[in-house]
Amino acid sequence: MNLNYLFFKFLIFSVVRIKYLYAIRVTEKIKGDTMHIPDGYLGPATCLFFYVVMIPIWYIAFKIARKKMNEKSVPMLAMLSAFAFIVMMFNWPVPDGTTAHMVGAVLIAILLGPWASVIAISVALLIQAFFFGDGGLTSYAANCFNMGFVMPFVGYYVYRFLLKVIKKDNAWTLGVSGAIGGYVGINTAAFMAGLEFGIQPFIAPGYCPYPFTVSIPAMLLAHMLVAGPVEAVVTGAVLYYLKSHASHLLKLSKLTLRGESHGSMD
Amino acid sequence: MEAWIKKTLIVIIILCIISPIGILLTWNYGDAWGEWGQVKIGNKTWMPQHYSGGAPLQDYDVPGWDSQIMASLGYIISAFVGVFMVITVTLGIIKLGEISNELRKRNTEKY
Repeated sequence: MNLNYLFFKFLIFSVVRIKYLYAIRVTEKIKGDTMHIPDGYLGPATCLFFYVVMIPIWYIAFKIARKKMNEKSVPMLAMLSAFAFIVMMFNWPVPDGTTAHMVGAVLIAILLGPWASVIAISVALLIQAFFFGDGGLTSYAANCFNMGFVMPFVGYYVYRFLLKVIKKDNAWTLGVSGAIGGYVGINTAAFMAGLEFGIQPFIAPGYCPYPFTVSIPAMLLAHMLVAGPVEAVVTGAVLYYLKSHASHLLKLSKLTLRGESHGSMD
Repeated sequence: MEAWIKKTLIVIIILCIISPIGILLTWNYGDAWGEWGQVKIGNKTWMPQHYSGGAPLQDYDVPGWDSQIMASLGYIISAFVGVFMVITVTLGIIKLGEISNELRKRNTEKY
């Protein structure tokens, strides 16, 4: 028995195991996707952890907004959080019989800076949790972390990196970079949500019953195939339109940690 | 009001009106992953615990409006209510920032 043989055996074992878990998944008609983690799926430790993580993030976002928002970016932030709320209501069918939706966090991050996205998405999620029962209250901070923090920051820096590499600043490069940023951002958020679901069987029995070998593939399938492309097309199209028809809206003061303050509210 | 705000508002209102697409396209589809009321694993049934008594417009619908047409109506109502609430809360947070800025300014002027 050499190392190669052991590795090979491990590989086969893993494939069989994933297939077995998928078999459960199909026979029990488990549906694919959600970013809105409801109550009762995450254990108390996980919920508390994300509240502890999110409180300083919310505070920083509030402080930056206080400093850098001005009369032009305030209505934009209000419009964009309403936009994020309404696009999340459009559930798209996933081929395996489940649903997925886009978020819009990366678009907000590109237009007003990633910290603006933290505020806009957190507000949209709060209203969804309180008034429509979409996403739990105990898992609210975890949802904010996935969609309102990880997603905009990842998408925003992917976008910035791509623009730096391409070195051209026209409607097409902006649109394509934004689209890729949106796609990467939403899938990172989906992966995080899958991970949070998937560690529960190991740390909090009685909560989400599926390990990450089931939850992560289920989340990624729905978002790579459906929600990701929708996010990419919408983000790219809006950026393309704004660059070619209303480029002054791309130059609003951004909510970033560094940079000058352009706000009149300070 | 600037022209672009009006345009964006119109886009959002149109999105609200066509929002039932979001449930009609997926009418016979199941819940989203991780949003089940209960799950059967083998012969065991697992149910998530509920902490609150439910929301006023649970699942973006007026309670009891279950047919496709009524659920679509409920969805449109939910969309408008939600958009209004989200805009109000966002502007409220910004207002809070302005107020705290004012307070800080006043405090620094004192000394």
